[in-house]
Amino acid sequence: MTTIAVVEDNADNRLLLQALLGDRYDLVEFDNGVDALAGLSASLPDLVLLDISLPGMDGNEILARIRDDERLRPLPVIALTAHAMAGDREKYLTAGFDDYITKPIVDETLLIDAIERWLARR
Amino acid sequence: MASHDTIRRMTPVSDTDTIQLPATDPEALARLERFGGVKLLNEMIALFLDIAPGRLSTAADGLDRGDAPTVEDALHSLKSSSAQLGAPRLSRLCEQGESVAHRGSLDGLGALLAECRDELGRIEAWLTSVRAERTA
Repeated sequence: MTTIAVVEDNADNRLLLQALLGDRYDLVEFDNGVDALAGLSASLPDLVLLDISLPGMDGNEILARIRDDERLRPLPVIALTAHAMAGDREKYLTAGFDDYITKPIVDETLLIDAIERWLARR
Repeated sequence: MASHDTIRRMTPVSDTDTIQLPATDPEALARLERFGGVKLLNEMIALFLDIAPGRLSTAADGLDRGDAPTVEDALHSLKSSSAQLGAPRLSRLCEQGESVAHRGSLDGLGALLAECRDELGRIEAWLTSVRAERTA
């Protein structure tokens, strides 16, 4: 089964993602950047859903470390964030995220379509 | 007579658009039920009721310490959760506070957090009644 890593500190968002994606993918969850980077190296998932606002190491720094790591670098990383002001999408895509989905999740097909689109490119 | 600064600190940050937003959005709860049935809806409500007051307290503690990043992070989280749980007015208040704190300012945030607490009280009562109806 395809494995997706969810890096998200809020339990309510992790619960929601499990409900939306748990039947389709094997989810591995991390609530902070340090655990996420160790876990990504150990399990090497197929795709990462990465929150931006995290305690300690934020999503931008986690992304930078993923891109600096030879084994992790090819992973598709989708920003899943409540930073949804004008210009944020371009900002995060320019920073190196492969895609950008906003919270709250209103239309789950946007999320699933983005995941499938990036999985198909692997 | 209150000084200009005092008046500014006491003036709520929320604007007319925020006040006109509905406090509750039943469609958001229907959406959660569609995502994962009554089980998910009830679990999401329980988590929100458990977590949301702590986030507001964290924001208030940050304000007391003059710690704008803590205020910003706490309100950012509550903005997202409250929007997902059908509380658009609370979410907008949080967004306004997050935006102020992001600029490194704490101006007006005491009044705004008081508004958030009032709004959260309404949302807690609403979600509790929804959960009771769904589980009856």
